[in-house]
Amino acid sequence: MNKHLLFSLLLFFSCSLSIIAQDRRITGKVVSAGDGSPLPGVSVQIKGTIKGTSTDATGNYAVSVPAGKSILEIRSVGFNPQSLQIGSQSIINITLVESENSLDEVVVVGYGTQKKSNLTGNVAQISSKSIENLPVLSTEQAIQGRAAGVFVESGNGKVGQGIKMRIRGASSVSAGNEPLYVIDGIPMTTSAAGSAPNTPNPMADINFNDVESIEILKDASAAAIYGARGSNGVVLLTTKRGKSGKTSINLNYFSGISEATGHRQFLNTAQYTELFTEARVNSGFSVAGGENRFTRYAVGEKARWSDPTSAKYTNTNWEDQVFRKGSINQLDLNISGGTDKTKFYASGSYSKQDGILIKNSFERISSRLNLDHKVSDKVTIGINASVARTFNTRLSNDNAFSTPLQIIALAPMAPVIDPRSGDYSNTYNGADVTQYYNPLVNIDNSSNTTETYRTLGNVYGQWNIIPALSFRTEYGFDMSFRNDDQYFGKKTVRNSTQPNGEVYKNNANIFNYNTNNFLTFNKIFDQKHDLNVIAGMSYQQSKRTSVDATGRNLPSDAYKTIASGATKAEANSFERTFTFLSYFSRLNYKFDNKYLLGLSGRVDGSSRFGANNRYGFFPAASVGWILSEESFLKNVRQVSFLKVRASYGFTGNAEINNFGSLGLYSAQNADGNSAGYAGIPGQRPSQLENPDLKWEKTAQTDIGLEVGFFNNRISAEVDYYTKHTTDLLLNVNIPGTSGFGQLLKNVGELENRGWEFVLRTDNSFGDLKWRTSFNAATNANKILNLQGQVITGGFLNRAVEGQPLGVFVGPEYAGVDPANGDALYYKNTTKADGSMDKTTTNDVNLAENTPIGNPNPKWIGGITNDFNYKGIDFSFTFQGVYGNDVYNGAGKFMSANGDFYDNQTLDQLNRWKKAGDITNVPQARYVGGNGTAESSRYLEKASYTRLKTVSIGYLLPKSITDRLKLTKVRIYATANNLLTFTKYTGWDPEVNTDYLTGVAAGNDFYSAPQPKTITVGLNLGF
Amino acid sequence: MKINNKLIFAVAFSLILTSCADKLDVKPVDDVDAISAVKTSSDVEALLTGAYDSMTDADVLGGNLQRDAELIGDNGDIEWQGTFVAPGEIFEKTLLKTNGQAQATWLDSYRTINIVNNVLANLTVVDAAKKARFEGEAKLIRAWMHFELVRVFAKTYQDGTPASNPGVPIVTVPTAKITDANFVSRNTVAEVYQAVIADLTSAETLLPAKNSFFANKSTAAALLSRVYLMQANYDAARQAANRVITTGNYTLTETFDLAFNNPTNSTEDIFAAQGTDQDYVNSLNTFFGSTAYSGRGDIIINDQHLNSYDVSDERSNFFYQSGDIYTAKWMRLVANIPLIRLAEMYLTRAEGNFRLGGTPVGTTALADINRLRNRAGAKLYTSVDLPTILKERRFELAFEGHRIHDIKRNKQTIIKKSGSTSLSWAFNSPKLIFPIPLRETDVNKNLTQNEGYQ
Repeated sequence: MNKHLLFSLLLFFSCSLSIIAQDRRITGKVVSAGDGSPLPGVSVQIKGTIKGTSTDATGNYAVSVPAGKSILEIRSVGFNPQSLQIGSQSIINITLVESENSLDEVVVVGYGTQKKSNLTGNVAQISSKSIENLPVLSTEQAIQGRAAGVFVESGNGKVGQGIKMRIRGASSVSAGNEPLYVIDGIPMTTSAAGSAPNTPNPMADINFNDVESIEILKDASAAAIYGARGSNGVVLLTTKRGKSGKTSINLNYFSGISEATGHRQFLNTAQYTELFTEARVNSGFSVAGGENRFTRYAVGEKARWSDPTSAKYTNTNWEDQVFRKGSINQLDLNISGGTDKTKFYASGSYSKQDGILIKNSFERISSRLNLDHKVSDKVTIGINASVARTFNTRLSNDNAFSTPLQIIALAPMAPVIDPRSGDYSNTYNGADVTQYYNPLVNIDNSSNTTETYRTLGNVYGQWNIIPALSFRTEYGFDMSFRNDDQYFGKKTVRNSTQPNGEVYKNNANIFNYNTNNFLTFNKIFDQKHDLNVIAGMSYQQSKRTSVDATGRNLPSDAYKTIASGATKAEANSFERTFTFLSYFSRLNYKFDNKYLLGLSGRVDGSSRFGANNRYGFFPAASVGWILSEESFLKNVRQVSFLKVRASYGFTGNAEINNFGSLGLYSAQNADGNSAGYAGIPGQRPSQLENPDLKWEKTAQTDIGLEVGFFNNRISAEVDYYTKHTTDLLLNVNIPGTSGFGQLLKNVGELENRGWEFVLRTDNSFGDLKWRTSFNAATNANKILNLQGQVITGGFLNRAVEGQPLGVFVGPEYAGVDPANGDALYYKNTTKADGSMDKTTTNDVNLAENTPIGNPNPKWIGGITNDFNYKGIDFSFTFQGVYGNDVYNGAGKFMSANGDFYDNQTLDQLNRWKKAGDITNVPQARYVGGNGTAESSRYLEKASYTRLKTVSIGYLLPKSITDRLKLTKVRIYATANNLLTFTKYTGWDPEVNTDYLTGVAAGNDFYSAPQPKTITVGLNLGF
Repeated sequence: MKINNKLIFAVAFSLILTSCADKLDVKPVDDVDAISAVKTSSDVEALLTGAYDSMTDADVLGGNLQRDAELIGDNGDIEWQGTFVAPGEIFEKTLLKTNGQAQATWLDSYRTINIVNNVLANLTVVDAAKKARFEGEAKLIRAWMHFELVRVFAKTYQDGTPASNPGVPIVTVPTAKITDANFVSRNTVAEVYQAVIADLTSAETLLPAKNSFFANKSTAAALLSRVYLMQANYDAARQAANRVITTGNYTLTETFDLAFNNPTNSTEDIFAAQGTDQDYVNSLNTFFGSTAYSGRGDIIINDQHLNSYDVSDERSNFFYQSGDIYTAKWMRLVANIPLIRLAEMYLTRAEGNFRLGGTPVGTTALADINRLRNRAGAKLYTSVDLPTILKERRFELAFEGHRIHDIKRNKQTIIKKSGSTSLSWAFNSPKLIFPIPLRETDVNKNLTQNEGYQ
């Protein structure tokens, strides 16, 4: 409905103006104030029109000025814009000063751009400069700590795996919480094609050195233009484009090494035997039984554990066996340039990263070509295309015995190599030697790889129908072809369960295409009314298919293909399509340079929604007031900028199952295998219908203040927001007696509230350029209503009313009874008078489950300092997360006071030994379950501060580069994750195990720590 | 000219706007819309096959039900040394309301019941020749699931008053959408047994004598013998067992070992979960098999058990060493899982005959017991008493999921030594009953929780 109205309105506008009078011609040259060099590609506009041009390769421009127009506006990214009175001159030369002021930057806002000072919504911008050449794989990792309210968490140090990003908290319980990523106007595929939770990160297919700017749309007024997919925020990636002028060639290479950020300490052989002998005695088991076990681990040789004087005495530090020195190498080459008519940017990149764990690496080769061509004064066309191949050598998820860090469970008296077999200690003669599968066996006897081909491309055409009105059409696609290969040889049988080997292959393809068609109207009426309107539509279709198969019983380990398997088993296929049809419009109005109004709306239809609720409408409104333009502030020299803004609007979340609204029958059973039986076909009802299913709706309010002092040498932004999500898309538990466990429904509410602070200062003096950028944000998440439902996940995570999403709920550990060494728990039952019973019990079943921690940080923040002094640049970024807890799900195995034969963390030596001992570690009792229940015993504060990035570089003086016939030579060194400050005792506080999904958050489970990386690099410009 | 351009543009633009609307109607490819899934006789047949698949899911008769009966009934014969939390709790007899296995058993059993209720609701489209068989199979599956549920989640039949003890909800209507009627209450133990017997009796009438590896008349009778045995209705139990034996359709395998690890049904399998290379579930192998035999090696056999056999008994050697000692009953991953063997019928008939005295049905208890001992190469008895009959049952059926049920119906006490401590559980200890899963009591306030888990 409203789309037609808007369209007519636009046509009306476009028809109502167009008279062109006599013009006069102005020419000139634009140079940089810094070195006097000519500046190509500078926009020269005549104020009050959209008429203008840009400078050519030598910085020259020529423009015709209509009668009655008297002001030239000159803009170039990175320079302060200028306005000049034309007067009577016909030649105007211009000198541009490098910008120190972010307010004049142009910000990409989705279907267009806006000047930052004119924004009425909250958009964080990160320029490519600040993140280029960081030794990380993907964009999300690169921007960690650099944008207020944007929480980025790499759950694991395994290279190539997915990263979690939360913009202003999690807005959903069951639907997705990741933001929408849009690259050059095209929504990207960001969920991986596989089904395993430790899937590769699709964002790692993008070389972020090709990205010019990253904008993060946070509040409703910014994100509502993306309607049903705006609730989690929107990340806009804009790739680099050529500028007319001299062709510039940029070559960059860096190389570095990495190692784990943290280590844990485990018992050595003497400590191990002492603790477990004691544990067995305490539980009434024989000492001999334990000694037999030690000898079994010690490959049958008692001296390895019993006789420290023996040459055979063994003390294996298993952790050392799976960590290694990682490495990273990356080469980037890009060429850009062009003429007035045609501009190009081309790049190629090769990156290889060997992780800090055995058998874990990532390789990417990618290239990009972006072209823009002016067909005529009115028509521009362009194409962006990138292709990439990535190759990821992967690891099992954290819950597998074969994942490297589970090796720490092995006993220290086992030698790495069993001399009887000459192979890794694992099994001998069909009998188990080590307690668990030894992950080292995987090194030579298995492989697990993912190869992805990713092509992103789009073409656009832009038609400037009349000066004030243009039409742009975009067609883009994102294709991904992914191939997973896994092979497990005979020797992995203890883990793979396949005595004759197994091969698995999965081919997954995604074809995701999108078209955007929209009109932009831009005009200033009477010098005072600045109007910008867009209206258009978009359509997206994404189809995902996959085929996988397993082969078993291979003749020998030399055969590694499905074709060689005597048994072909478990072949599967998958096909899913979803579509979005959308109409959108936005109006921005500025009156008298002071008063800002923004209105936007989007109508989204999706195949994912039920038949009764196909379309949703997502409106937003915002206002801003630039007080510094008011006469009462204009003369206050100290205050250079002051703006208040407020916005309110609605966004949606549609990240749900593609066919969640339909009643379905499936030929697959609940485990994903055939619903047939012994080769006879079968089917079953698999899902109940819900024709009313629709998107989640988030109403967001944002109030912001932006201020600049002393010519914006100090600028600050403060925002307060509330996000209220209703109609939560929830897999609601239904009585299992119905034959179904859950039904996807729109019930429940949650909210996020928070503050965001940004402070930028320019502390430069003399030749020292020094800028500081600080951001901090709070977010408090609270579930308001789940219709009484409690959703559990992880070890102790829950979604429950009145608590933040993922809250840890469980028994509260009360330490150790000094009298007898029993683990104690607070009863925490509610007494008749309403108070909590804080007496203790040694029966965990009598201890009430209570909220004991929060996986969500209270504060996140970062601070970056950039220094530049005569060619030497130095910068560092600290990033931190405060007020969250992490639960060690493996605590019951690794810190269990000798409950079972898993090697124990060193702190378990502090166990209770005799009456009167005051300690937090209960008496050692073999299979006694003394304190091993999931409880707050294994919960820890996990706040941390990291020296995320520190880099130092040196730009060779021009005199030398000129002699080398180069335009730029910079050598630099960068360190990532160099220092971590935390009280968390695990490997790394930034952790979220890769095998748990749903409401699980903040869990550690043999999860690999982050890498600490140091690189040196060279950057050449030709 | 200008106007024309705009006109063309306006038309083109409106076309783009309208041409996509029907694209929102995307049909699933991998699954089928519920409305069109059950239209023909073969659709119903596929649904029935789906019920067999669902019934033999790992969490039901694919092995975990049997595993848990052995774990919770253990008195030191075996050791759980796995890392899975849920079976660990079951072994320790310290289940929490959140026990994942209790939840999975509940959900998957009722899922199976819903599938067969859909079969029963759609019998009208079934070919006349198949109707009775489908109805019989569906009722048998429904009865079997209700029977397992009531044994696991409620007081045993002989504990107190079954007519008032809460059992499990009886569900006989397929679910199309969730209404108030889905918030069911627990029927009494007696009601559940009644429903089970009614379904099985009807199934025995409806089913053919032979039905490939699917349920047949004898499967229904064999299950009835189990149900009656739990009720201590020894006459009905021995009669039902006798009906199976006298069909002559089943014979004991020549040697004991031939009854296990078979890719197809053995001659004594009355009903077995089918495992093929393409499609198999065998969680008994997963937990009882050593890692060298595709298992996790989680359940090891203790000397206490190994020493209980006669030396000459082949069954005493049906174990293997792979680091620790494991039972040889579940050595193969891809193999059928015998769910009811003829040997059990002999044992049930013998027990019934012995307990009731008088003229035996079929043959004497001594003859039935010796038949099994003879097959196992064990010394034959000259006379039997109840303890020897029950002991024989243990030797023959060990690790096949009968443990806790035999303990409960015989009102035995589990006494278990763990190191220096000795623990005991009476047959009616609440610790030997699974909690109603917390998710169920949370979502359905009509469900009451079991004693000891409130």
